[in-house]
Amino acid sequence: MSEPKKLHPISAVLNALKQLKEMIIPLVAFVVFGSRGSIGGNIILFAGIASIILVLAYGVISWFRYTYRIEENELRIEYGIIVRKKRYIPLERIQSLDLSEGILHRPFGLVKVRVETAGSGGEAEAVLTAVLKEEAIAINNILQDVKNIHAGHFENEEIPPKHEEILYKISGKELLMLASTSGGVGVVLSAVIAFISQFDELIPYEKLFKNIESFYVSGGILFISLLVFIGFFLAWVIAVISTMLKYANFTLKRVDDDFIISRGLLEKRQTTIPLKRVQAVRITENLIRQPLRYASVYIESAGGSGNKDESARVTILPFIKKNKIHDILQSHLEGFISGEVEPAPKRAFIRYCIRGWMMVVPVIIAMLFLLKIWGLLFLLLLPLSAFWSYLVYRDAGWRVDGSQLILTYRSIVKHTVFMSKNKIQSIDMKESYFQRKKNLSTIEATVKSGLGGTGGEVVDLEKADVIKIYSWYSKSVPAVEESPAIEKPEM
Amino acid sequence: MIFLPEKRISERALTVWRISGCINFLIVFLIAGGFIALSIIFKWPVWIIGAILVFLLIYGFLFIYLFPLMRWKRWRYEVREQEIELQHGVFIVKRTLVPMIRVQHVDTQQGPILRKYELATVTVSTAATIHEIPALQLEEAEELRVFISRLARVADEDV
Repeated sequence: MSEPKKLHPISAVLNALKQLKEMIIPLVAFVVFGSRGSIGGNIILFAGIASIILVLAYGVISWFRYTYRIEENELRIEYGIIVRKKRYIPLERIQSLDLSEGILHRPFGLVKVRVETAGSGGEAEAVLTAVLKEEAIAINNILQDVKNIHAGHFENEEIPPKHEEILYKISGKELLMLASTSGGVGVVLSAVIAFISQFDELIPYEKLFKNIESFYVSGGILFISLLVFIGFFLAWVIAVISTMLKYANFTLKRVDDDFIISRGLLEKRQTTIPLKRVQAVRITENLIRQPLRYASVYIESAGGSGNKDESARVTILPFIKKNKIHDILQSHLEGFISGEVEPAPKRAFIRYCIRGWMMVVPVIIAMLFLLKIWGLLFLLLLPLSAFWSYLVYRDAGWRVDGSQLILTYRSIVKHTVFMSKNKIQSIDMKESYFQRKKNLSTIEATVKSGLGGTGGEVVDLEKADVIKIYSWYSKSVPAVEESPAIEKPEM
Repeated sequence: MIFLPEKRISERALTVWRISGCINFLIVFLIAGGFIALSIIFKWPVWIIGAILVFLLIYGFLFIYLFPLMRWKRWRYEVREQEIELQHGVFIVKRTLVPMIRVQHVDTQQGPILRKYELATVTVSTAATIHEIPALQLEEAEELRVFISRLARVADEDV
């Protein structure tokens, strides 16, 4: 396998498409805003065509210049159009090969291979945009051989068969419920609104509405609200369908010491997470799923590709009854125990309320100024915000179990974060002047996720509880049951 | 019982913070001076000048006198065998615990003012977080850096 190989030619198209995707916003802006100026339409058309040709040429040339080979136990990739770049990745440093198939891949039996290394910088990672499936399997086999030799097995020795266990497979009913309760509607809606506002001036509202209005003069408002309703409904349907396509066939497997996740209908994706890279488990419940007792489970993993759109938070159970999570994960994630959490004390509730009101009161004042008497309607925000604060307050909590810390809190969705002591990078406890007066405290724990940190922060817990967590984490301060307040520094 | 971290940072830090408070004040003073000039040129009501002066006075008091003092009084740190503990914050008191085995590297850095007063800032980085001890005495900062990096090297990593 030492001959330099090229990727499948289809990757020229993929390169071009990717480039086009990155250019689409400036391009559209250019066309839309440019057409308002005095520059002739021809020039813009010409510039548009020229840039598309350039992009296509870029795709072809970058495909032509990209070669890969396996040589001296290294994956050697050479690429670059003007500046020639070489990237050599030692095989034993490769953590996993993640395969995915897009729509363009499938007719040709191709896959996209992402080479994941343990490197914390996310530096030495590579993507083979399109190779034959057999080729990917061949690379993977070589990789496995090298790893086995590395692990002390000899080439002819019988390699123990892989232990494989399916932990979770999404059912049709679950998929449907997952899609219809996801927050994807918002995303589609905002995309539609952004799109419409971009093309505001291109849509001939007047022409469209002149005739219609004469029909519906009396029922105008009804008509518009019907339109809005249909719009919402369509957005929801699009969101549901796209979520279903994304999560169809979602399967979580454990193979040896890795979690392997595969999902997707049109675009198949496979992700590998070595268990030793798991930093924390996060359960989220949104407002609709929480009363139904359903949740999604994520894993925060260290390292990874360092790609911005592909965060280090990986979904492992997209939609699951909350009481089943423990049974599924318990035997695979060391020290993972779920249990009832200790809530925030009752006297903290008023502080949650005040924090909410501090956000809405300026809005109310502004509205009173702007809308005068109608602004009074915005006073309704006060009880609404109090209700929201109640939800936030109710979902705050903590629990310590042996070497595991659980923090629960609500941002928009409810988070439950499970962190084990030896993965927590640091712990903060915070107190403001007002918290000190009420004997309340804030606790924050940070774990590594991707190249940065994540974790949880719970506001206004009983101070004694926070001190308990703090001394649980500390290696020099013995854990105590009852602690007096922190000694007040002389001021 | 949970102890307060013991060590305070150098008293010279207070002087340094006052100096940077002064520099900060100077910039605000220049902007305010500009406003006063404008208000004289365009004959704005006199109370505006008064308000600006009062604002300057309060600003100066807070940023040159009060905040550096409060900040210095609150700042505590302690480096133990197994962990580093920090406490700081003027309005919100924040205590941080960083186990030695999580420390990835330690940096010291100096700006011109810190250099003049032979102080340095120590930055402790873990895989996910960065913690700063401002304005330690130079020898102390250097010692701390060596100490921490030795301890951190001994501790075995599991991230």
